[in-house]
Amino acid sequence: MTEEKKGFLGQFLENQLAPGRPKLWRNIFLTSLAVIAVLGVAIKNRHPHFGYDAYPFFWPVFGLGLGLALIFAVKKIIQPLIKRPEDHYGDL
Amino acid sequence: MATSEFYHPSLAFLMMAAVLPFLPGNRRWKWLLLLPPLAAVYAAFTNSPGDHLTISWLGQTLKLGHVDALSQVFAQVFAVMSLAGLIFSLHVNDKGQHMAALLYVTGGFGCLMAGDYLTLFAFWELMSIGSTFLVMLNRTRESVLASFRYFLYHTAGGLLLLAGLLLRHKYTGSFDFGPIPPGTATCADWLILAGFCVNAAVVPLHAWLPDAYPRGTVTGSVFMCAYTTKTAVYVLARAFPGWDILAVAGTIMAVYGVVFASMENNARKILSYHIVSQVGYMVAGIGVGTAMTLNGASAHAYAHILYKGLLFMAAGCVLYSAGTQKLDELGGLASRLPWVMVCYMVAALSISGMPVFNGFVSKTMTIAGAAEDHRTWVALGLEVAAVGTFISVGLKLPYFAFWGGKKPDPERKLKPIPANMYVGMALLAVLCLTQGVYPEMLYKYLPYQEVVAEYHPWATWNVVQALMLLGFSGLAFYIMRRVIEPHKALNLDFDWFYRLIGRGVLWLICKPISAIDAVWTIVWDKVALRLLKLLAAFSAWFDRAAIDGVVDGSAYGVKGLGHLTALLQNGRLQHYLGLMVVLALLIFAFFWYGL
Repeated sequence: MTEEKKGFLGQFLENQLAPGRPKLWRNIFLTSLAVIAVLGVAIKNRHPHFGYDAYPFFWPVFGLGLGLALIFAVKKIIQPLIKRPEDHYGDL
Repeated sequence: MATSEFYHPSLAFLMMAAVLPFLPGNRRWKWLLLLPPLAAVYAAFTNSPGDHLTISWLGQTLKLGHVDALSQVFAQVFAVMSLAGLIFSLHVNDKGQHMAALLYVTGGFGCLMAGDYLTLFAFWELMSIGSTFLVMLNRTRESVLASFRYFLYHTAGGLLLLAGLLLRHKYTGSFDFGPIPPGTATCADWLILAGFCVNAAVVPLHAWLPDAYPRGTVTGSVFMCAYTTKTAVYVLARAFPGWDILAVAGTIMAVYGVVFASMENNARKILSYHIVSQVGYMVAGIGVGTAMTLNGASAHAYAHILYKGLLFMAAGCVLYSAGTQKLDELGGLASRLPWVMVCYMVAALSISGMPVFNGFVSKTMTIAGAAEDHRTWVALGLEVAAVGTFISVGLKLPYFAFWGGKKPDPERKLKPIPANMYVGMALLAVLCLTQGVYPEMLYKYLPYQEVVAEYHPWATWNVVQALMLLGFSGLAFYIMRRVIEPHKALNLDFDWFYRLIGRGVLWLICKPISAIDAVWTIVWDKVALRLLKLLAAFSAWFDRAAIDGVVDGSAYGVKGLGHLTALLQNGRLQHYLGLMVVLALLIFAFFWYGL
């Protein structure tokens, strides 16, 4: 099979799959989160809407906790109850 | 108001749809497809407010060209989307698909400009017909079946609207289309609201949307994701602002959509559920009904049309090129479709409300407006939906479509994507970015200008809060990425109930009604048919014996009389004189003795 010609962006993206690169991106992501969390403490919320959002780390905890709970609830509780074979209705 | 200052955007779309079948088949006609959207863009920015094109018909005044701030902001984004959508579909040779799209857009603009319910209803139904064909013309068995279901849902919704507007006319004597104060609602208004809610995909009336949109043509679904639900948002904003039930319904929609999107495997079905979710923000904003939330609903509709169109374009490109839209069959495409991935990510970050992109300046306005109106649960529900949106559309879909831990598969053949598809995507991507960076581009067209200055999306805290919310949602996805991995499955939704109703009607026809019909056929055959034959035999006998006897007797009598008269006319004068004497004596005797 002939090699597919890739442009600059395609080549750049393929290079990111090289060993060590995914870990580098993960570290950049986690460092960014730490910076954002610190910013959240440094910059005060002057107009809290829900009460608890006046506390620092409310939004990081809200985002992380809700995200984990949502994925768990959807994939482990709700979907097993409503999941059927793809051609359940015979439309395919 | 002088009608010369007004151009109806539907006109060129309708004319193009009418002449398209007759244009020669050398494909140069495709460039003409861009004329109606260009004219619409011009009209959307230059039409002057007022009632234009009012005509009298059957004693009613139809207002075909109602223009105000609310209709203008929707008309602008409808026009821009029609341009991007038609550029995106320029490679399609099937005139039927273009005609369906043109008629569909005609209906959309017609609804925006409608100043009365009759006009609205006519264009509402035109949209329904056009969009049905956009699904059907995908020409697969499942698409054709889905298009029939879609048409049935929308016919039912249209009938609710028709019943409502006729009842409303009976109550008020008018078809005028304007705001209805919640305290004055009649059953007519509730019927109209129900009809609008079908098209707005309000849960549980929403299941037509994730059923039909993933099965539409690659280009058709791009149009559909923009017009049907947003036309419904527009009519809700016009007629039902401040209806509390819509605030509750919108919040439920926002959360419900992301829950279903999080478990789906089909890329365009994930995006379809996110239409339900994002329209939920708009419906909630309309339900809260303050100037800021109504601005938020309009702004979000504008932004949503741009980024949702772009999402459907990018997902359509993946389907067009890779031949599948199922995430478990995709992965490793980032380096092979890099610009599709970039365009998708622009739209995905927009829908997630990431700073710099247009969803950030529109979504947050509705949430802030709800919170300032002390609708804490509405605002909180919309924040919950924001987390789910980022996880499912911003991360799950692109991760499993473009990366998924898979290396590029050289064995997978990818169909080259036509340049026009990239141009359509680039147009929307640029608009998503520029609106996010320069929100005044969007805000200056919002209907309630008096409160626009009260909201500053780029306030430092807003940016940090959005980054915290989305960043840590992303961390949740990173931790749970193997749990959320999609698999082949069908997830039951409310269409189970719709299909149950369909199956119930079918059972009713096939079993009891069919059995009654069978019995009736026997009764007819054994009793009624025999009686009928007996009656026919009697009629035949009566015809022969009585009718024919009378007619024949008369004929024979006339014939005999004629023969006798002929015998008397023998040409002898003495016989005539003798006959006259006899006749004269008979007449004399009659008068003498008879009287």
